Amino acid sequence: MDLSVQQFRSKAEQDYFDLYTKAAKALPGAGNPFVAALREDAIKAYGRLGLPHRRVEAWKYTDLRSRIDEVHPLIAVLGAEVSDAALDRALGQAIAAFPAYRLVIAEGELRVDLSDMSALRAAGVEIASLAHVLEMPPEWLKAKLGQVNPREDDAVLALNTALMTGGVALRLPEGVNLDKPIHLIQLDGTGAPASIFNRNVIVAEEGASATILESYGSLGVTGLQRNAVTEVRVGDKASIHHIKLQREAADALHLGVWLVSLGADARYNAFQLSLGAALARNQVYVGFDGEGSSADVSGACLARDRQHCDTTLVVEHRVPSCASRELFKLVLDDEARGIFQGKVVVAPDAQKSDGKQMAQALLLSETAEFDSKPELEIFADDVVCGHGATSGQIDEDLLFYLESRGLPEPEARAMLIQAFVGEAFEVVDNEVLREAFNAASAAWLGVQAD
Amino acid sequence: MLEIKNLHANVGGREILKGLDLTLPTGEVHAIMGPNGSGKSTLAYVLAGKEDYEVTDGSITWNGTDLLALDPSERAATGVFLAFQYPMEIPGVATMTFLRSAVNAVRKARDEEELSTPDFMRVVKEKAKGLKIDAEMLRRPLNVGFSGGEKKRNEILQMTLLEPSLCVLDETDSGLDIDALRIVADGVNALRSKERSMLVITHYQRLLDYIVPDRVHVMSNGRVARSGGPELALELEKSGYAEFGGEATAA
Repeated sequence: MDLSVQQFRSKAEQDYFDLYTKAAKALPGAGNPFVAALREDAIKAYGRLGLPHRRVEAWKYTDLRSRIDEVHPLIAVLGAEVSDAALDRALGQAIAAFPAYRLVIAEGELRVDLSDMSALRAAGVEIASLAHVLEMPPEWLKAKLGQVNPREDDAVLALNTALMTGGVALRLPEGVNLDKPIHLIQLDGTGAPASIFNRNVIVAEEGASATILESYGSLGVTGLQRNAVTEVRVGDKASIHHIKLQREAADALHLGVWLVSLGADARYNAFQLSLGAALARNQVYVGFDGEGSSADVSGACLARDRQHCDTTLVVEHRVPSCASRELFKLVLDDEARGIFQGKVVVAPDAQKSDGKQMAQALLLSETAEFDSKPELEIFADDVVCGHGATSGQIDEDLLFYLESRGLPEPEARAMLIQAFVGEAFEVVDNEVLREAFNAASAAWLGVQAD
Repeated sequence: MLEIKNLHANVGGREILKGLDLTLPTGEVHAIMGPNGSGKSTLAYVLAGKEDYEVTDGSITWNGTDLLALDPSERAATGVFLAFQYPMEIPGVATMTFLRSAVNAVRKARDEEELSTPDFMRVVKEKAKGLKIDAEMLRRPLNVGFSGGEKKRNEILQMTLLEPSLCVLDETDSGLDIDALRIVADGVNALRSKERSMLVITHYQRLLDYIVPDRVHVMSNGRVARSGGPELALELEKSGYAEFGGEATAA
């Protein structure tokens, strides 16, 4: 018996509606029919879906309806003070100093004064504040916004589309190969508890390539509720390295969605390092829409206290001859909870698909928990697909070996934990970033980086 | 001087060492032989301080220090080194990184200055050369994909770099062909000195042709059953371990 009755709306569920109703007329692009229609459709979709809860399969481990009591208002803090010291604190020194074209989005506002807009433009990139271009979106943006590997069933995405304010629209025209990475810095938490809806759209046209680092940090501890969506279209023969560092304040809510679509002979390399937030849900949707492409989506999560870190992936092989790889490593201490849900879908005619997935957790305490849910939906017969998940504690024999060589126990333990997560960092091509991630994991462990 | 008195130790609730007495003077090399299951490797682990090896009675002192009161890393700092029969593979830890961390940890514990990276590299390269360990091997993750011989050479390299005063070699000859055995034995012999004591644990006499001991002890049923000079090893080669409760011959 299926009684699909919307029984009640939780306070938070209603809050999101109110947020939209109150803000709709003032949201960027409110006067633009295309944008206004997009937002209207999205809030209606949210109305149908409601806040996800544990009886929705994809959210069985992360019950947003019970986790969000109330929704903070949209707050626009213009010209927030972002000092170098604050940046160091928010992102860690190595990441703050990462040599790149920098784009700073503070409290949803793209800060032209802190960003390398003109250098990026000189390098051939089309770049604009999303809030700005929503007023009159160019054709390329209209063709992509909300349409890169779209999802009908995702309430977080629907809310983002309805309420998106800050972020960038970035286009790498045909054949543009950037000489240095782009660093998209998203900082919040200067004022009162707020809801933030970041939206980035990145389009790499044929043969273009770039490394894009998204880093998320907090300038203070203010109960931030972040909803961040990045759409990435990787065109034919294009190559994108997409990296994310999330180290928000301990009380933050971080809901992240990456929507990715690949053309033919394209390459997408993604890596996410999740360190902060009380609750983080990282969703990555990758769709192969052209043959001969490959994607590597990997990540690591280090969590302690009562942190909750959920990674949910869906990789869809819609066309033949594409390869996908996923490797996720979780280190969980205290009462932290780590979740990995990975789904690989192979369409009926997507022959010669190659999909491999692995999730491994290292539990540092008796009370930490790891939930893994791998799913393969294969409708083609000539494919190579596999998945695996492991969960374990530190190997006492390895620990003894290191200790017998003079390493005191805490150092020996840290070395083994770093070695465990370090394997996932191997996906990151950029050596400076890899080192920065090693430093970040060392800092998390309270030891000196090697 | 290493003094082991009336040592009793349990592994998984079962008593393996049953009142072992042994004295190893400074500067001497003693061999421990004995049939499988006589407690040779247990003794090695107990000396290094492995957690699940529970000492229920007796004492171990090294130059007057009560080893049983120290954790494994403190024992290493005091000068104890165990060359493992089965060295551990640790993916994700580069051999060179591991060596530097270990050397500096031990130097720090001994109140010595940490070595600078260039100094350290120079020392490692020099010592590694004698053991026929090339730079490529040092870049690889610790012992991962190493052959049996490479692992044992790596153990001896670690022993050389950590400058221990008490070396315990647990079946270092197992899994080695004759060439590898010679390299390893040369490495060990280069470390013999008046200040350094060695306990060479082996099932076979073969290793003792290359590392000639001052004394040989035969273990049986968790104790030292017989002690003698190097000739004892040769005798065992002929007679086997039958009289010590073993089935196989020692040869």
